[in-house]
Amino acid sequence: MKVKIALAGNPNSGKTTLFNALTGSNQFVGNWPGVTVEKKEGKIKGYTAKGDEAILVDLPGIYSLSPYTLEEVVSRNFLLGEKPDAIINIIDGTNLERNLYLTTQLTELGIPVIIAVNMMDLVKKNGEELNIDRLAKDTGCKVVEISALKGDGIDQLAQRAVAIAKSGMKTQPAHSFEGCVEHAIAHIEEAINGKVDQSMERWYAVKLFERDGKVRENLKLEQSLLDHIEQDIVSCEKEMDDDAESIITGERYNYIGSIIDDCYKKRVKKQMSVSDKIDRIVTNRFLALPIFAVVMFVVYYVSVTTVGAILTDWTNDTLFGEWIIPAAQGALETIGCADWLTGLLVDGIISGVGAVLGFVPQMLVLFIFLAFLEGCGYMARIAFIMDRIFRKFGLSGKSFIPMLIGTGCGVPGVMASRTIENDRDRKMTIMTTTFIPCGAKLPIIALIAGALFDGASWVAPSAYFVGIAAIICSGIILKKTKMFAGDPAPFVMELPAYHLPTVGNVLRSMWERGWSFIKKAGTIILLSTIFVWFAQSFGFEGGSFGMVEDMNNSILAAIGSAIAWIFTPLGWGEWKAAVAAITGLVAKENVVGTFGILYGFGEVAEDGAEIWGSLAGSMTAVAAYSFLVFNLLCAPCFAAMGAIKREMNNAKWFWFAIGYQTVLAYIVALCVYQIGTLLTAGTFGIGTAVAFALVIGFLYLLFRPYKESQNLTVPKSIAGKVRA
Amino acid sequence: MMPLSMAETGRMNQIRKIGGKEETRRFLESLGFVTGGFVTVVSEMNGNLIVNVKESRVAISKEMASKIMI
Repeated sequence: MKVKIALAGNPNSGKTTLFNALTGSNQFVGNWPGVTVEKKEGKIKGYTAKGDEAILVDLPGIYSLSPYTLEEVVSRNFLLGEKPDAIINIIDGTNLERNLYLTTQLTELGIPVIIAVNMMDLVKKNGEELNIDRLAKDTGCKVVEISALKGDGIDQLAQRAVAIAKSGMKTQPAHSFEGCVEHAIAHIEEAINGKVDQSMERWYAVKLFERDGKVRENLKLEQSLLDHIEQDIVSCEKEMDDDAESIITGERYNYIGSIIDDCYKKRVKKQMSVSDKIDRIVTNRFLALPIFAVVMFVVYYVSVTTVGAILTDWTNDTLFGEWIIPAAQGALETIGCADWLTGLLVDGIISGVGAVLGFVPQMLVLFIFLAFLEGCGYMARIAFIMDRIFRKFGLSGKSFIPMLIGTGCGVPGVMASRTIENDRDRKMTIMTTTFIPCGAKLPIIALIAGALFDGASWVAPSAYFVGIAAIICSGIILKKTKMFAGDPAPFVMELPAYHLPTVGNVLRSMWERGWSFIKKAGTIILLSTIFVWFAQSFGFEGGSFGMVEDMNNSILAAIGSAIAWIFTPLGWGEWKAAVAAITGLVAKENVVGTFGILYGFGEVAEDGAEIWGSLAGSMTAVAAYSFLVFNLLCAPCFAAMGAIKREMNNAKWFWFAIGYQTVLAYIVALCVYQIGTLLTAGTFGIGTAVAFALVIGFLYLLFRPYKESQNLTVPKSIAGKVRA
Repeated sequence: MMPLSMAETGRMNQIRKIGGKEETRRFLESLGFVTGGFVTVVSEMNGNLIVNVKESRVAISKEMASKIMI
C-alpha cells in the first residue's frame, strides 16, 4: 500500500533535519506550483519498495493554518486538497506552548496526526520532564520522542507514522473551547452537515466561526445560511467581548496552557539561558556593530585574502595553467587534432570554464563560514542588527545576507534572497544584490587601477562605494515607485537558540550553494564561451569566411564596431572596449582577458599588467573610470542573470531587473565621463548638458517627497526560515 | 498601559492589548503574542527589540512593538 505523509511544523523546529533523516538521499526538491516556496518530497527510508512506498512531503514551516501567508496557504491547500494519509507534526520540545498551537489546528483536519517531539535531548539536559503519555492523551495524537540532530527515535517515528497512515485512524481533537464557543460551533456544524466531508466538519465549522474568507468562498454557502451562522457568531462575540478570531486563538492557547500544566515539569528556578547571555552581548546596542564588523573582517580575511586566495591561485595557475591546459594541448596535438578544434577546446572551453571554476575554492571557503554563521544562529542576529539601517532605504535586514554572499559571487547571492519571504523586499534585493562588486569584478578593478591610475589605492574601495551607493539610491528611488510602494514588511523573525551546527549541515549547505555555481559554469558559461570563441576566431578575411588571423576581422569585431557608438557618450566608443564589455556578460573576469587578446597578447596576468600601456594610450582616465563603473553596475554575467530569472520566476520582472541595472549603469557612466571631462579638460558639449539634466532628474527621484505609509501590512510569510 | 517598545529590558511584562490591523494582530498572535501572555525584552537596538515570548525568542521591529500594549 502506497501512503503519503505530510511533515508539518514551526520554522526552526528541526523540520529540515528530520526530513533529511527520514528520507536519506531519496529526495526531490522543487517549487510548489505557481509559487517559489520550496517543495521537498522524498521516500521514507525502509519504505521505498514499489507498491509499498511511503512518500514524505515537507510542508513549509508555519505557525498556524490561517490564510495570511503564502506558506500557510500552500500548506493548507495541500492538506485539504490532497488529503495525505497522515501528518507528522514535529514540535520543539523546548518550546511546547507555541508549537502546540499549530497542533491544535492540525488535529481538527480529520487526518491521522502523529507528534514528533524534537530536541528531547535538550529538554532532558535542561532538567525538565515531559510526560508523553499525558501529552498523547491531551492532544489525541500518538507521540514519539526524537532528536532529529542525533538521529534518536527516527526509525520508531517512521514505523509508527507509516502504521497510522495505513490504519486510517482519524485523530479526534482532544481540545474543546469555552461553552458558548462550542455551542456556536455545534450550530455551524449542523448547518453545514452534508456539505463537507464529515471528518472535516469541525475544521470547517471553526473556520466559518473565524469568518475565514477563503473557506467561505470555497464552500459557496447560501446567503441565508451565512446569515444564520453570523447570528451565532455575533452572540458569542458579545458574550466573550472579543472578536471571533481572537476568541479562537485565545481558547487554543488556554487549552495548551492546561496541557502544559498537566504533562510538563519545568525547573522551578528560571535562569537566564546561555542564548540570553550571548544575545545580551552580541545584540547590545553599543557592541553589536563592532562585533559584527570583526566577524565579517575575519570571514573575509580568511576566505578572500589568505586561504581562499591560495586555493584560487592554485586552481588557476597550477591546476589549469600548468596541468590541464598544457596536457590537453599536448594530447590534442599528439592525436593530430585540427587546429580549430584544439583552439575551441583549449582556448575556448577549457580556459573559459576554467577561469570561472577557479573561483570555486574561494567561494566554498566563504560558504563554509556563512553556513556556520547561519547554523549557529548568528546570521539571524545580523539581519536584526542591520534592519534599522536597511529599512531607511527600503530594504529589510534580511537583504544584507544576499549582498554579503554577493561579494563572493552573485549567483548564490541572488539565490540567498530566497530567505526573504516578503515579495517586495525580495524582488528589490534580487535587483540590487549584483551591484556589489563580486570576486570576478576584482580583476577589472585591478586592470583599470593599474593602467590608468598608477595603481592608486583609492580605486578599489571606490568601486565598493559605487556599488553600495547604487544599492542605497536604487532602494530609495524604487521604494517611491508604484511597483514597490509601501513599507518593507515589518521585521519579525524568530531567533533560534545558539548552538553549534553539525559538520554535516555546514558541509551540505556549502555544497548546495557551491554546486549551483558549478552547474552554471558547466551549462550557460560553457555555451557562451563557445559562442564568444567562435565569434572572435571566425570572420571574413581575404574575401572568404573562415578562421581569422587578425581579430580585427572577426565577427566579434564586427559586432563590437556595430554597437560601439552606443558607448561613445561614455567615453569609450572604441570597438575593443565594447567587445570587452560584451564578453564581460559571459563572466566578468573575461573583460581583462579580452583586452589582452584584442591588444595582441595571448595570455595576460589576472590584472592585465602587460596591456596597461596600450590601454592607457587608448582612453583617458575619466573614460576608463566610466568603463569601470559601467561594468560594475550593468547586467551581471549570464550565470547571475540566470539566477535572477529563476528567483524572480517571472519574465517581466526579470527583464525589468536587467533593464534597470543596465540603464542605471549607462546613466552613471555617462555622468562620470561627461562631468569628469568638464572638470579635467573643461570641455562642455551636448553630452555635458545631458549629464547635468540626468543628475538633476536623478536627484529629483532620490529626494522627491515620499509619504511613508502608516499601515503595517503583514509580511507574505512569517519569520526567518534560518535553517538550523 | 504603554507600548512594548518602551518596556524596560529584562523585566517580564503582561500583554494587555494588541492593536493594529486585524492581519497584524492575527500574525502576532500566531507567534505567541496574546492578550494576557507574558513577554520579556531581552535586548533593544535602535528601537528594534529581541523579546522572549512563550519560551521562544523573537526579533520584532519598532513598528510592531509599538502595537503591543503592556
